[in-house]
Amino acid sequence: MMQRRNFIKTSLLLSAVALFNPERYQHRLLGFEEAIELTYQQVLKEFCEGRTAVDGSLLISLTIPTQPGSSVTIPVEVSVESPMNEEDYIRSIAILTTKNKVNKAVIVEYTPANGIAYLFANIKLSQTQDVVVLAKTNKGVIYKASKKILVAINGCD
Amino acid sequence: MARKRRAAIKILDKNYAVGDVVKVQIIIIHPMETGFAKDKHSGEAKPRFYVKEIEIFYNNTQVTRFELDVSASQNPKIKFPLKITEAGMLKVRFINSEDEVTEKTTKVKPK
Repeated sequence: MMQRRNFIKTSLLLSAVALFNPERYQHRLLGFEEAIELTYQQVLKEFCEGRTAVDGSLLISLTIPTQPGSSVTIPVEVSVESPMNEEDYIRSIAILTTKNKVNKAVIVEYTPANGIAYLFANIKLSQTQDVVVLAKTNKGVIYKASKKILVAINGCD
Repeated sequence: MARKRRAAIKILDKNYAVGDVVKVQIIIIHPMETGFAKDKHSGEAKPRFYVKEIEIFYNNTQVTRFELDVSASQNPKIKFPLKITEAGMLKVRFINSEDEVTEKTTKVKPK
């Protein structure tokens, strides 16, 4: 009689341990797979550092296909008119999305050693939305340009 | 648990001299898991796993730094300009979200 009771107790304990096995939830406890959403306003605030962006559609030329075949890899080509010398150069270029869950794609920091302000990168989009490109000069002026991209299938699983 | 990853750095222009601006292409074969997607079979969320940072060194001085996030496509391919000042080495260093480092170099030989 006692034996059976003991057997039931131990089996219950073991199953409880197996259910709450720390190894199974370790990645969650340590925060490895913490999927953090990042809104467009948050990224914009972080990049602009309190300044407001000026319209720079004349300075920034964007080359993005309007109706890309695949939304998983969308080529984005940016070139900004700038002398790129020690006094006046583009310090940073950011490619941002507006309606993805995480709206930061690529941020690059340039120096006068780069010669011209140009950037090519592949991004992915979840739905039809604006792609925003921001360019920051060494004096802190921020130029902004955007283009609407039509997306048929969610490429952001 | 350092895994060897396929990566490359390449100067796209063929004939260049000192003073020219060339375009350099970098690519790494790497997944970009957002952390929101679920596995089709087990139903568990796939952990967030992406390339976090890319640094470019031209003769041991850092010229460019990239900050990536999960909205960049998988196997990120980037082209950037560089002004050639002297012969030497161009080095790229990829750092992913688990602090795994992949380094590649190429020679700079202006004519």
